[in-house]
Amino acid sequence: MDEATSKSQTAPALSPRVPRHKAIDRLYHWLMAICIFTLMATAFLPILGFKFEWLDIHWITGVALTVLVIFHIVRAIGWQDWRNMWIGFADIRDLWRNVAQLLGARKTPPLPGKYDAAQKLYHLGVAIVVLAVVGSGLLMLLKIDTPLWRRNPYVFSGDTWGIIYVVHGMAAMTIVAIVIIHLYFALMPDGWYLLRAMIRGSISRKEYVEHHDAARWKA
Amino acid sequence: MELFRYSRSIYGGSNQLIGANWDLLPVFVGAALVFIILHALLSARSKRRRQGSS
Repeated sequence: MDEATSKSQTAPALSPRVPRHKAIDRLYHWLMAICIFTLMATAFLPILGFKFEWLDIHWITGVALTVLVIFHIVRAIGWQDWRNMWIGFADIRDLWRNVAQLLGARKTPPLPGKYDAAQKLYHLGVAIVVLAVVGSGLLMLLKIDTPLWRRNPYVFSGDTWGIIYVVHGMAAMTIVAIVIIHLYFALMPDGWYLLRAMIRGSISRKEYVEHHDAARWKA
Repeated sequence: MELFRYSRSIYGGSNQLIGANWDLLPVFVGAALVFIILHALLSARSKRRRQGSS
């Protein structure tokens, strides 16, 4: 048996599916989606005129969102590769080339790693506004009676409460805009393979080769 | 359009900041829709250009 035949017989066959999201991470994503939609509904439907007892659903779901966010931060740092979401010089360059292509430039931008520059920027934006809404929301819990404490609105001055409410409200309205944009990219035909991956956990080898650079995302 | 909501303090004096102006909600939704429309139009044009040159 010659060396080439021996090597080809021992080389592992590539799996037809490439794992993208573990089950626990998919569960986290969909639970976070349920929390965000529940929080948006309980926040804005009463403002739009649909009156109902929204406060308890809102703050309890807010606490659930807080737990999910803490879980994600711990898991991303401890168990996942946080560098997948790091925005580096290559990502800025790729983003520029993607924008240039949208505006008419002929060159095709290079393939990204696991996440492209736009996804990383989206994640950064979501992280900032969700942390702002969660942080301000947790402070606002001091103003309501819960099973664990009695309300104390005097812990901050009126002016400080005003700022906390502004941060919470502006972050909440920003999240509405971000969710609309996220749904657009998720439901666009170009993004269906990613939506399937968030349900099934994997993409096909063909999708991996077509959409990603194997040197930047080793799978 | 105001960015914030105010109410008069019960102790008199200046107005009290109480939160963001909810009339801004259509502005945020509109900004998202404008982004989507622009992206969809530019993507479609870019695809047609690439298909034309290939």
